[in-house]
Order: sequence, then C-alpha cells, then structure tokens
Amino acid sequence: MREDIRIEDIGKKEGQLIKITLEDLMPLPPPYDKPETHPQLTEPKPEWTERYVTELDGYIAIDLPWKPKTKEEEEQLVQRFLDGLRKLLDKESNWTFLKPLILTLEYCAKCQTCNDACPIYISSGRKEPYRPTFRSEVLRRIIRKYLTPGGKIKAKFSGDIDLNAKTIIRLAEAAYRCTICRRCAQTCPIGVDNGLITREIRKLFSQEMEIAPQPLHKLGTMQHLQKGSSTGLTPDGFKDLVEFMEEDIEEKTGKKIKIPVDEKGADILLIHNAGEYLSWPENPAAFAIIFEEAGLSWTLSSEAIGYDAVNYGVWYDDVQFARIVIKHQEIARKLDVNRVVVGECGHAHKAITVIADRVLPPELQIPRESYLPLLWDIVRKKKLNLDPEKNNFPVTLHDPCNVVRLMGIVEPQRKILEEICPQFREMSPNGVYNYCCGGGSGFAIMTSMNFPEWRNTITSRMKFKQILEAFQDHIEPDVKKYVCAPCSNCKGAIREILSYYRATEKCGIYYGGLVELIVNAMVDVEEPFIEMY
Amino acid sequence: MIWLQALIYFCFAIFVIVLLGKVVKYATMPLNLRWELYPVPHEKKAEHGGSYYEEPEWWKKPREITLLGEIKEMLKEMLFIERVFKHKRSLWWLTYPFHLGIYLILVWFALIFIGAILELIGIPISASGSMISPVIYYLTLVVGVVAMILMFVFGIGLIVRRFSDPDMRKYSSFLDYFNLIFIIAVVGTGFAAWQSDPDFSLAREFMKDLIVLSPLPSASGATILHVTLLSLLFLYIACTKMTHFIGKYFTYHKILWDDEPNLRGSEIEKKVLNQLNYRVAWRGNHIKPEVTWAEEATKYVPKSQEE
Repeated sequence: MREDIRIEDIGKKEGQLIKITLEDLMPLPPPYDKPETHPQLTEPKPEWTERYVTELDGYIAIDLPWKPKTKEEEEQLVQRFLDGLRKLLDKESNWTFLKPLILTLEYCAKCQTCNDACPIYISSGRKEPYRPTFRSEVLRRIIRKYLTPGGKIKAKFSGDIDLNAKTIIRLAEAAYRCTICRRCAQTCPIGVDNGLITREIRKLFSQEMEIAPQPLHKLGTMQHLQKGSSTGLTPDGFKDLVEFMEEDIEEKTGKKIKIPVDEKGADILLIHNAGEYLSWPENPAAFAIIFEEAGLSWTLSSEAIGYDAVNYGVWYDDVQFARIVIKHQEIARKLDVNRVVVGECGHAHKAITVIADRVLPPELQIPRESYLPLLWDIVRKKKLNLDPEKNNFPVTLHDPCNVVRLMGIVEPQRKILEEICPQFREMSPNGVYNYCCGGGSGFAIMTSMNFPEWRNTITSRMKFKQILEAFQDHIEPDVKKYVCAPCSNCKGAIREILSYYRATEKCGIYYGGLVELIVNAMVDVEEPFIEMY
Repeated sequence: MIWLQALIYFCFAIFVIVLLGKVVKYATMPLNLRWELYPVPHEKKAEHGGSYYEEPEWWKKPREITLLGEIKEMLKEMLFIERVFKHKRSLWWLTYPFHLGIYLILVWFALIFIGAILELIGIPISASGSMISPVIYYLTLVVGVVAMILMFVFGIGLIVRRFSDPDMRKYSSFLDYFNLIFIIAVVGTGFAAWQSDPDFSLAREFMKDLIVLSPLPSASGATILHVTLLSLLFLYIACTKMTHFIGKYFTYHKILWDDEPNLRGSEIEKKVLNQLNYRVAWRGNHIKPEVTWAEEATKYVPKSQEE
C-alpha cells in the first residue's frame, strides 16, 4: 500500500511514518518471482521502539538511544540541530562542501526527474521518505523557515514544515536510507545533487551532535584512529595475519612468497580494506601472488591505520575523513614510497584519490592510484601466464559506485575480464550508470538490530535483480556462476543478499573479487584458487 | 510614461545587478572538495565515462582534455534539455517547448535590439527595402509569435502537469505555480499588445527610445500593462530559482565536472592551504572546537584509550 505521505508529515504524524510490506516491493525475476520465495518481514521489537528511532519506517540505522524523553530534552535537541545547521551554512565550518550544498538547496526545480534513478525508491515500491528529493526538501524548508528573515511568512508560500523532535529524529534516520550512490544527480537537468544533501545531514548530526551509527563512528572511524583499524585489528594482529597468509598461499598454490611489510623505499605502498584480511584473506593473498609474479617493488604497512585503507569519514564526517587520510599519507611518506595503490575497496579509492586531493598539504601529496590500471597493465603486457579456460563459467561484473561513477575507472576491469573469462557478461545497466550493491555509504557494515533486513529487502534488491537477470540463461544451481565484485563493501552486501535469498543454494551464484579470478586463471596454480562448492 | 521608462531601467538594472551578485557569490565561495560525477565530458575517455584515473601512474602523463566534448554536452543540455528527455520524457514534451519559447523570446529581444540599432543608423525595418531590412522584419515577426505561442501553451501545460502529477504536486508550493502564472500573464498581455502592434514596429520604437534615452512613444493600455508586467518579471526572476541558468553553470563546471587535480604550485594548492586555516566551530565530542582545520586533522586525533 502506498501511503499518502506529505513532506510536512515528518513533524506531524504519530507513530511510524511508513510501513514496508512485501507486496509493495519491486518484483524479482525467477526463481524469486513468487512472494512465498521471499523471507517474511519482521516488526521492530517493542523495547527497540522504546529506546531507538523507529518512527520513520520501523527500521533502525542509528543504534544509539538518542530519543528525547522530556519537553526540555526536545527543546535542546531542536536548538542543537539549529546550531549545527548554521554551521553547515558557514563558510569556515563547512568550506568543504558549502558550494554544492547551497546550489542544491537553491535550485531544485522539483521536477522529480531524479526519482526513477534511485534504486531504493524504486525497490521499495516508491515509499515517500526514500524519494531522492524528500530529505532535501525537508532540509530546504527548515532552513528557509527557521534561518532566514521572514521565514514564517515565506513558509506559507513556499512550503511549510514544523521543526520539532519528530522532524529531527526522522530526518536523521532518513539520512541513512540513501547509499549516496549519486545516480539521481546524473539525471538532474540542473546538476542538483540530492546524494550530497544526505551526506550533509549525516555530517550535521555527527559533527555537531555526536549522532551517527556506531559501526561508522564509535566502532568505525574512532576505532580506526585509536586502535589502527575499524575492524579492531592491531599492528601485531596484522603481522600475524600476514604470516598466516604466506602459509596459506604456499599450501594452496605451492608458491613460497615473502610478503613485503614496511619495506622502506619500495615503489608501491599497497593498502587494503582490513576487512579483507579477516573475511576474505584470499583477496590480499591473490594481490601478493600477482605482484610478486609481475616483479613489482611493493610493500604493505604494519603501522596502525596504514594497514586499513578504509575511511568511513567519507560517508558521514569531514573531520574524521581528514584525520584518517592524513594519517594514510603520513605513513606513505615515512615509507618513502613513490605511490600509494588502493586494493579492492571502492570507498577507499574515492577517499584517498579524489576527495583527499583538496585536503592534503603539499608535503603529503604522494601520488595515489587505483590497482585496476596497474592490473590491466600486468595482464596486457603478459607478465602472467594465464589460461582463460580455467575461468570457463558464467561471470558478471558489479561496478562499485565509488570506483566507476565517482572516479571514472570503467574499462580496465572489463578488459581484464574479457581477457580471462570466456563467459563474461555485463549487468544492465552497467559502467557509470550501474546500480549500487546496496551496501554503499556504510550500509554493508551496519548490522545493528533490524537494519540488515531493510538492507537485504530494499537497498540490495536492485542489485540482486541485476545479478539474477545476468544469469537467467543458466539460473539452475548446478551451473556455478560468479559475481565479480571488486570492492570489500560491495562483496559484503552481495554476500548478505545471496545468503538472505539462499541464492548460492538455489541458483549456484557465488561472489568474489577480481584478483581471485586472475590467480584462478594462472597456469602454474594447479588447484582452483576460487572455491565454488 | 516617464514612470514606465524609469520602471524598465530600474527593473533591468536590478536584474543585472542581482544576477552578477549571484555569480560573484558562487564564484567566491570556498573551493569545495572534489565531488565529480562521471561521465565528465571534457575527459578524453568520456564516451564510456572514463577518467585519467584509468591510466597507470596518471600523474606522469599529460592530461588530455577535450573542450569540444564539454561544449557538446553543454549544448545538448542547454538547447535540448537532454536529461529530462532521457529520464522523464512525458515532462520533456511540455518543458522543452516551453524553454524553446524562452530561448526564442530572447532571440526576439535580440532582433528587436538589432532592428532598433539599424533604424537609428538610418536603415528602416520593413517588409520591403534592402536585403537586411525584410530579413529582420520577418524574422522578428515569426520568432516573436512562435515564442509567445510556445510559452503560453506549454506554460499552461506545465501548470496542469504540476497540478495533475501527484509526485510534482506534493512538492509544489504556491510560488512554484505563481512563477508559471506570472510568465503566462506576461505572455498573455504580450498577445494583447501584439494586436495593436502586429509587426512589432512599436516594440522597435520602444527599444530605440530606451537606447537613446528618449521618452517612450504613446501606447495602448494593453501594451503599457504588458511592459509593466514584463519589467516586474525581470525583477522577480532575479530573486528566484528561475535563475537556474546561473546555478547550472556552477553545478556542472565547478562541481560535477571539476576533476582538476591539485598539483604542486597550482592555484588549487594555494586555495586549499588557505582554507585549511579556517576555524572549525563544530561541537561534537570528537572535535576540538576553535582550532584550524589543519590542526584539527593533525594535532587533535583521538588517541587510543590504552595510551
């Protein structure tokens, strides 16, 4: 059922603003074309509703008990929010994104051309708070009414809204119902960017009010800065993992490799998402095999922060973002490397290469690049002995938004796959017009309470549909198929969606990175490097 | 009619000043962090959405930029509104003819201006006469009438669409409708004025007098009402989001297509260094307030609890 929600309802309606039902959701292709094949949705537990914000759609992204309980607390919340909003519009406090923010606030024509580009809005059955323009219009109305002269009169003519605790708690949750994939901005005739507004709202809550999902802030950037990694991995733990990895490589491939760590003066500092070492160690292992085989001069860093490429600040906090990226570059400088190469982690790509470009002082401007062009160069120059027949199973490619749409790296990964995977097929749409995996902007690591259910049901739905469509010619489970997702968070989200719908069991769909496919095709690696069973 | 002449000068002057003010406002805002969105049309690899990051060790290679690609993309969007055509075709059938009407009315203004200048230098504009004169005469006539029809018909169409499309109606305020009604009112009175000035010769007379600061000729009530409303429309547009033609320049060229790397000794580097000295006023617990961004990011990093 599509509820008739108006913008001003965000501060008026009691209870849950919307309710998600299976019947409303975008249909999926076979074998998921019948509702009985879908897991049932759950209600939020009463004790959650007591402590956390379930007033938007019943799901909880911000796992902090921050709901005001008294009238005074509500008033304080409004005041703190307005203080933050003023800073968001201040030249010094928000120099980082003031221009794009102001332009988006001032020029949206409300033509709704962007709506159909949003996978969350479409997948949900067009639920109002997920519409790309919803959050922006709420913010625009609050600013106009409460922070400009004559605001109350202006509100009568240009759209009204009440700023109260309900508005604020729902807006904060709504800021975590968008993956900031920025597909909407690609369609806007004026260049308005509603994805940016999502991030600006998140920033306001984090930078002024210390409100952010714990996996991003407390367990994310704070833990990264304090312990060395958002996974909690310490330098000693990292060194142990490298040793295990060396043993594992020898056991699996017979290759005796000494993985270089803290090698001063190496050409390349390779940085991985630390989650790879813990969840998918075959990925950094494949990098080590390829780099050694290609004869590159490279090193990993064992210094705290230096062995974890992630930068969750890119999703919600400019200050934390700057702190982490500066630390990464200081480590590169200490190691005296010529360049920093980012492994299979999409947001780390964008963070350290693109966004950091205007944060770093000259002494820290050590060149940064993606591993993809380097990898294509290795394959193209035949530095590895590869046999594509070893990858003769259906393979499709997921494009991580941060690498493709937001950084313009489209072809190298395709050229590699065309070279080594005889049954490679594209998803549709792909390249810069791809759909997000559903794990973007932190969703892949946000696992508190019922948030994973929302992610699996709605944000990853479009990607799941694309994957199923790409493999419709061999959807039966006995044909093993591979989704190549060259990004840790994307892999995490795809792992979850495949597991949620039991797609490996029902359809024979597996997932993994790109480097694993390359090693799997290496002639001198006798046993399959990719395990699909 | 001196009041009308004063009103025209006043409104036009304010229009120009406010527009310039907006340009200055956006141009002097701090340099934002990079936030580009591909495809970026000036990139050599724009056809598949590629960037210079597709090259290994990109910083060692010369940047190849195609201005032509950027101009082509700009023209497609400006003259054809391509994004609405691709992503919301049903709206395009209304908004494109409407905007075409606006472009044509600007051409009409230019033709009236050229005609006025020609008459001032002694070349009268008429259906007969030397080569240039009838060309300007007929072009002005055709362009003006077509522009008015397009703006009037499709302006009404846009109002109907905004009201009848539930998605657009929900987000439309009184002012969104008023903007269109105001334009339609100006075009409607334009039609009425045209009845007493079928070949736009009076319009040229107006323009001539405005150029040489002479008193305006006498005109019908409809013409006076039209010119008054038109002047006020200029004033009004300057203060609304209808100046999106300015916003659009900055959103595309300074944000979505701005992939200029921060190189040693560049203007960007200077600006970044200056901005890193701005003060942070945020009050979150993890932030040290009232220090500079540079200090915030380097000196006040949260330390391990064990340390």
